[in-house]
Amino acid sequence: MSPRPAAWVPLLALLASTGAAHAAPAPKNSCLDCHRTLDDRRLSAPTVSFAQDIHAVRGLGCVGCHGGNPVDPEMTAMDPDHGFKGAPTRTQIAELCASCHADAAYMKRFNPQPYIFSMAEFRTSVHCKKISEGDAKVATCTNCHGVHGILPHKDPRSPVYRRNVPATCSKCHNAEYMKGRTVPTNQYALYVSSVHGKALLEKGDLSAPACNNCHGNHGAVPPNTRDISVVCGTCHGREGELFAKSKVSQTLELEGKRGCVTCHGNHDVQVPSDAMISAGPEGVCGRCHAAGSPGAKAAAVIVPRFQALKSRLAEADSLLNVAERRGMETSAGRELLKQSEDQILNLRAVLHSFDLAPIQAVMAEGSGLADRAHREGLLALRDWRNRRIGMALSLGVILVLMAGLMLKIRRMEST
Amino acid sequence: MSGRLRAWLDERLGLEAFRHLAEKKEVPVHRHTFWYYWGGMTLFLFGVQVVTGILLLLYYRASADEAYESVRFIMTQVSFGWLIRSIHSWSANLMIGAAMVHMFSTFLMKAYRAPREVTWLSGMGLLALCLAFGFSGYLLPWNQLAFFATKVGTEITGATPVIGSFLLRFLRGGEHITGGTLTRFFGFHVAILPAIATVVLGLHLYLVQRHGMSLPPGLEASGTPRPAMKFVPNFLLRDMVGWLAALGVLALLSALFPWELGIKADPYSSAPAGIRPEWYFGWMFQTLRMLPSHILGLEGELVGILGIGLGGVIWLLAPFLDDPRGIGRRGRLLSALGVIAIVYVVGFTLIVYRRGKP
Repeated sequence: MSPRPAAWVPLLALLASTGAAHAAPAPKNSCLDCHRTLDDRRLSAPTVSFAQDIHAVRGLGCVGCHGGNPVDPEMTAMDPDHGFKGAPTRTQIAELCASCHADAAYMKRFNPQPYIFSMAEFRTSVHCKKISEGDAKVATCTNCHGVHGILPHKDPRSPVYRRNVPATCSKCHNAEYMKGRTVPTNQYALYVSSVHGKALLEKGDLSAPACNNCHGNHGAVPPNTRDISVVCGTCHGREGELFAKSKVSQTLELEGKRGCVTCHGNHDVQVPSDAMISAGPEGVCGRCHAAGSPGAKAAAVIVPRFQALKSRLAEADSLLNVAERRGMETSAGRELLKQSEDQILNLRAVLHSFDLAPIQAVMAEGSGLADRAHREGLLALRDWRNRRIGMALSLGVILVLMAGLMLKIRRMEST
Repeated sequence: MSGRLRAWLDERLGLEAFRHLAEKKEVPVHRHTFWYYWGGMTLFLFGVQVVTGILLLLYYRASADEAYESVRFIMTQVSFGWLIRSIHSWSANLMIGAAMVHMFSTFLMKAYRAPREVTWLSGMGLLALCLAFGFSGYLLPWNQLAFFATKVGTEITGATPVIGSFLLRFLRGGEHITGGTLTRFFGFHVAILPAIATVVLGLHLYLVQRHGMSLPPGLEASGTPRPAMKFVPNFLLRDMVGWLAALGVLALLSALFPWELGIKADPYSSAPAGIRPEWYFGWMFQTLRMLPSHILGLEGELVGILGIGLGGVIWLLAPFLDDPRGIGRRGRLLSALGVIAIVYVVGFTLIVYRRGKP
């Protein structure tokens, strides 16, 4: 099996330069030497940006992608007989990149744990399918990664660095570029205002998802109805698992509705609030469950109990705060309060099971803990009152004793 | 019946000798008599410390895993546990305060003069023991503030010339503050220091009994006979009025300002804001803080420690430096030194607390 020209040509150049470093000055790169002097910026600009390109940093030259003979100072360097290929066409780019990036053995020379590009995965993407159909306005590798100044994806300057991904996608997914197509173009505006967008773009939280975390990157497709809970579940594991097993999930699938998105939305997903759990106009249940339906009745059972639990917690917190301000030790009550708050978090997850029995069990546990925390607060305040009474009584006894002693001294010394 | 019992006990214990001693002991009465009560007040508060300390010992567990929880248990689950702990903590502070008042009044009344030099030295030893009790006890609840205050305190000790490194490792039981340090401090607090304190306190009380109360130099020089009161019962009853007042103050402080537990020590967290030592170390802490980083080519902290050490030695040797009658040029110089020391200690302590944060 002979190595591909795209792989061995830069390798030879690399080996040649490594060996020569000990013996003689590095050979000139005629590609850069000539192109640097050209007036046409389209041809000269790559010589500047390529200097910081990850390929150049790793010792790979122009010939890796374009072929030719870099040690030939004449125009014959670009002779097709010397393997010169020129600029690849848009339909060739992915295959050209894959010739190295899909080769695990080759990529391991540069990184022991390399990302291995899969052409098969890329072919599943809408982008690749459109390219295959001859659509020239669809993204290929260079549209996202850049061309002659490609940076590693972990470099904050890279267009595919996580924080930069939404802006990179929006370069094409906007109303102007997508004119004449049926693809929605408001995703970026919605995403920026979403809880995910704010976390990633405003707070710099790199654990927040960018476009590719839900849609995939090289195999980018819109998640289908069935996969939504799996997509959301990759981060929201427990909610995704409970929802996937729920009857509601099955019903939504049968109706062709898109799981999580039905209640939470997709690109504009906001911080969920407890007010969402209601069959009334302020909640999301009423969108599907008509008044008097089993779903609406279940919501009517859950909502008041949930509110009562939260009120109890707030009361307990307030009591403990008062006790703390009065100098009382409330750590036991605080611990119970925290456990009860944990049950609220648990409840918010268990709600995704859409099963009344486990929901009520969690609410009962949370209420029990909140009641105990409340009792601790009351006890602390009762103790505080008792201490004051005790202090007043003991001070009274002490004052009486002091007066008695002073009286005795006076009587004793007057005789 | 009681007469026969008393005779039986007297025959075996020699109670008559004690009674004779108590009857014979007198306390001079003059315009400075008030200051004689502070030694008894310190002793009373020490007694409170012993009783409450023993009660706390019934529940306290000295390990990094259990210390904080056991103190929390004392404060929340044990009947009157909160009161015992609060009284122990407040009484410790009042005791050190009373000991300082006793020391400064003794110094200014020049009660350290011959033949009371050893009484003075043993009293200074007792004050040092009180500070050691305070320092070792502060860490025992194993909360965040105590942990980092002890870290800073032992670091300052570590800057002592020549023996600093040894002292630091001796106190910490290693390079860092760990559960081993807590166990060690507990050992100091409940075994080693009480044993030493019992001996030194015994010596101090014996010497006070042997030499009686000292008269200030001015009154002593006048040579006129002074009125006096019997120690038992006149002075003792007045002492008891003071002790009851102290008990009332302790009840008031414990009920209105119960001693906080704080949050459990976490060696891996950053030091909490506003960290500072207990008030009785405040003047030394403030002195070290205000010094420049280098003085005459030496580290500022080192110069500060040497200066405080030198001042302490001069203070300790006052009985041997002063005029035997406490008058004349040397007498006035020592008196001025006492006033300066009081102003310095009070002033620098107030600076620490006025700023809120050290």
